[in-house]
Amino acid sequence: MKKIDVQKQILKIAPVVALLILFAVFYMVGTIKDINVAYGMKAIINQSVVVAIVATGAVFIYTLGSFDISLGASVAVSALLGGIVYNATKSILLMLAVCVGIAVLVALFNSVLASVFNLPVFVTTIAMLSILNAVVLMLISANGTGSQIAVPSEAVAGLDNLGIKVLVLFLFEALCIFVFNFTKIGRKQKFLGSNPVCAKLTGISDKKMSIVAFVMSGIGVGLGAFLCIIYAPTLTKNTATSVGMDVIIAIVFGGMPVSGGARSKITAALIGAFSMTFLSQIMILFNLNLGIGQMVKAAIFLFVVFVATSNQRAKMLPR
Amino acid sequence: MKKVLALALCLMMVGTLASGCGKETTENKGNADNIGITEAPTQEGEVTPDVTEGAKKVEIDTSKTIKIGVLVSDATTPEALAFRSYYTDYIQKQYNVEFVYSDELKDAAGEKSAIDTLVTNNCKAIISFSSFDRPAQIEQCAGAKVYYAVATGTLTQEQYDKYKDNEYYVGAIGPSLEDEYQTGYDMAKRYIDLGNTNYAIFGGAIPYFTDMHIYRAAGMLTAMVEAGGADANYLGATTKEAIVQQIYADSGIQTGNIGSLSIVAYVGGYDMNDAWFAQCAQMAQTKDLQVILAVGNGSDFFGAAIKGADVKIASVDAYASSYGDAMNAGMLDYLAGKFSASIGPVFAAVYSTVNGYPIRTDEGYALALSQGYWIAASSDEFQKYYAVDSSKESPAYTKSALDILVGSDYKTFSDFVSKYSFDEVVQLSK
Repeated sequence: MKKIDVQKQILKIAPVVALLILFAVFYMVGTIKDINVAYGMKAIINQSVVVAIVATGAVFIYTLGSFDISLGASVAVSALLGGIVYNATKSILLMLAVCVGIAVLVALFNSVLASVFNLPVFVTTIAMLSILNAVVLMLISANGTGSQIAVPSEAVAGLDNLGIKVLVLFLFEALCIFVFNFTKIGRKQKFLGSNPVCAKLTGISDKKMSIVAFVMSGIGVGLGAFLCIIYAPTLTKNTATSVGMDVIIAIVFGGMPVSGGARSKITAALIGAFSMTFLSQIMILFNLNLGIGQMVKAAIFLFVVFVATSNQRAKMLPR
Repeated sequence: MKKVLALALCLMMVGTLASGCGKETTENKGNADNIGITEAPTQEGEVTPDVTEGAKKVEIDTSKTIKIGVLVSDATTPEALAFRSYYTDYIQKQYNVEFVYSDELKDAAGEKSAIDTLVTNNCKAIISFSSFDRPAQIEQCAGAKVYYAVATGTLTQEQYDKYKDNEYYVGAIGPSLEDEYQTGYDMAKRYIDLGNTNYAIFGGAIPYFTDMHIYRAAGMLTAMVEAGGADANYLGATTKEAIVQQIYADSGIQTGNIGSLSIVAYVGGYDMNDAWFAQCAQMAQTKDLQVILAVGNGSDFFGAAIKGADVKIASVDAYASSYGDAMNAGMLDYLAGKFSASIGPVFAAVYSTVNGYPIRTDEGYALALSQGYWIAASSDEFQKYYAVDSSKESPAYTKSALDILVGSDYKTFSDFVSKYSFDEVVQLSK
């Protein structure tokens, strides 16, 4: 094997190696500091699973070279409407259906704006972010308590266990891997992300692919919203506010090229989401104050992204 | 090949994660094992250790550092900084404890993640200043066998009834809603007695239905109704209960006359955007305005706008240097403030419980004790209180004072907490 191929293979698995290193550091430092590592693992899964699911769906959008910053707000709206429907019907299944349905509708609206009216996705999602934030405030105000929409904790307590969360994550991950890696959809999306002009000339419809990408992302958002309710059934205007930014960081941290295209990886979201949470937990273990912790995290983030993308830079065509 | 590799890596990841899903993961070591208590913890019905005169002295093994987690939804205001300073700069140096603070929490999910993190870090107890979902916090802590207490707040009666006999719920010490009502009442009464007739009210978190702010405002309005003359009423309401109900219904305060007194302006919420700050400035400059009664921090939002005008501001918050500066600059006239050491007794209760000496009521229930504010109506008064409150060497509740509480009985504890006026606290510390 040529030297350059070895280097490529190493760089390809860099995010996974980074995750394993972070896990090892967490385990070793945790053991030295006598923390409850087993409980910590459970906490890490709880803290990562929503971002992992939403980010996995979002990979389809990123693969096209697009960018959606309204995902966090979409999670919040879906969760709030899901909560309202549960309180009205007492049906968990209906709550799940509403969460996914609303998220897919919002995603479809985004894709229609973007593809049918030929607007840049980034612009439409900025507008959607404002709209969804306003909807969040309206829903909470209309609910009557003014500050929150609460699903009775007893109603979802039985679902708040790691088995169900990991199962949902596994099933959605498997679906996305299948669609992305083993069907024409994934190949077309990578082609569109790599070279849209060439892809169109070969007969690939960017509109159709855009709609598929947003629908997949919507399913992830809906499942994330459902898990948000299960995890913390008291929903406020701040619910999922950090999810939007966490999704972007997770996707990049996991080794996904920001420009999308052929090097896009569906597993990047999963790897990135867990890497971020491990990193946060390690910062807490070292008892770094918030400011220093954030700076250290930023430096590590830059380093990991630098390593993970170093084989993409010195090329004539970045995709 | 690449696809197969990606799939294999993904399956490995999920498999690794699933391995962390075992149910036994939440198990913590029993507290007595960890801290080396010299006496067996008491059970209900057994003799409670007593530190009062002539009673058996509790001997607590202090050789091991106890980690206590602190949940905060506010990490930057003067009040929050003063509380944090008392724990980290005084208590942590006096007792063998380490406080582990959460980030600034924004919602119930954040609270849950923070508790997970604190439990992971082997915190034996959690003191909460965050109230997005208190029942969920209690249940999560109990599930993880970690003690939980509320600082500077109280549970609703319904919540207390549900959790009072939960062994991991230590209790709550803070101003009761009755105290909050009285605080608002006393504040308004003072200015009414001085002959002022035109008021503006800053409603703080009333639009978000925050009970304590609603009760403070209800106290203000009740004082006005009582002083406004024979037919004075607030939108038809004349009693405390009716006024509280009216505020809940409106999620705000209506301007207008209350007999001979007037509410000339009102701003609520903490939107903190340009429009909201403009509303604040407009309110401070309302014609004929004499007093701004704030259910929370008033000087920060209205102080600059009243410069040069003969308008007084009254606030409810905490003893922080910025309020002293505001008083000296004429931007604050009256402060009902929590003293930072007021969170000392809840620490003592938690410390005692973690060490195997829970302090419970005679029926074995968790603590639900009320503790009010110190009132400063002049800069001199403020400085006198602040000097004690800000001291890192000899704060309002010193170690020797708190030692009375550690391992004490309920009566000793509740008597101590009930004496919270400045003079009483200084006397206790002596």
